[in-house]
Amino acid sequence: MLDTELIQLWKAYDKKLETSIALNRKNTEAITKIKVGSLLNSLRPLKIFTILIGILWVLFLDILVINLFSYGSTLFLISAGMVSLLNKIAIGLYVYQIVLIHQADIDEPVLATQAKLARLKSSTLWIARILILQLPFWTTFYWSKSMIEQGPIMLWILQIFITLSFSLIAIWFFVNIKFENKEKKWFKFIFNDQEWNNVMRSVELLHDIDDYKNG
Amino acid sequence: MNSPDQSALFLNVIDAHKGIIFKVANSYCKDPESRKDLMQEIILQLWRSFDRYDQQYRYSTWLYRIALNVAISYYRKTITRRSLSIPLSGDLPLIEDSHAETQSEYNLHHLQQFIAGLKDLDKALMLLYLEERSYKEIAEIMGITETNVATKISRIKTILKQNFLTLIPS
Repeated sequence: MLDTELIQLWKAYDKKLETSIALNRKNTEAITKIKVGSLLNSLRPLKIFTILIGILWVLFLDILVINLFSYGSTLFLISAGMVSLLNKIAIGLYVYQIVLIHQADIDEPVLATQAKLARLKSSTLWIARILILQLPFWTTFYWSKSMIEQGPIMLWILQIFITLSFSLIAIWFFVNIKFENKEKKWFKFIFNDQEWNNVMRSVELLHDIDDYKNG
Repeated sequence: MNSPDQSALFLNVIDAHKGIIFKVANSYCKDPESRKDLMQEIILQLWRSFDRYDQQYRYSTWLYRIALNVAISYYRKTITRRSLSIPLSGDLPLIEDSHAETQSEYNLHHLQQFIAGLKDLDKALMLLYLEERSYKEIAEIMGITETNVATKISRIKTILKQNFLTLIPS
């Protein structure tokens, strides 16, 4: 098929369009009456709910740490403090990402806009990696001074086994939650909703963009 | 932004280029209901960007950039349906394989299917090529060099032509 034949074929499509579509000016005009939405309005309720719950959780942990600071178990304070810190970083990244996506200039050239958006969306993988690091701290917060000093040896063996296992699992996930593993069964099992599919597609798009830039 | 003059100018621009919105939406979204949402989202984003329109570019360049950016990144989201009617009416003349009456319709159906199967960026490039945009304008819309545009289009066309060759009965 020649180039001209291709173009002619597409023009035939154009002709069909011309006769079959019409612009409803009244409905389009209604769109021009919409006020530019705020960032908060543009977010889905689930996202707002997730952020709110996250902030409340971090606040609760911080209040706990502050109030128990002088007489609480050191390991509890360290564990709760680390869980709070990791959650703060994750919430901060999540909010920063949402704000930047909202502010992206949609009228810039396609590759520039898409690269920016895709890079931001793909950074969601980092949020998951950071959150998984809190896993071992959930196995240490209940350690008390009396347990350390007087606990039976079996309890110690069990406790070390659990904490070590959780630490290894956290490190393993931290290292392995990456795009290259997207076809692995465990990855699909964990990240199997629309939100994550979008993240994965964004990383794929980034690869395509690199390919385009390199000619 | 909401001045009546601005609104009237916007309506005229959209009316003059409605085909672009239709074709972009049709290429990136096959589901009819989602396609309506996508068209509404494109028009909304066009309106939001209208006061930033840079006159050094043609309206079509500006419109393609936004329509393609929205289509590539927005349509996958579950767009909250606004309580607004769809501004563009009419059934898309999608030609179903079984109903294609002529060879030309059959070929057009095949071309649409081929485009639908392309990666997002290749799809954008092919659309612009078929719309007979100059390499300069395509480069401005996509944000790549004209040489790169030529190379990429040539590669896609080669695949497309091979694809059409398989349709010819031996």
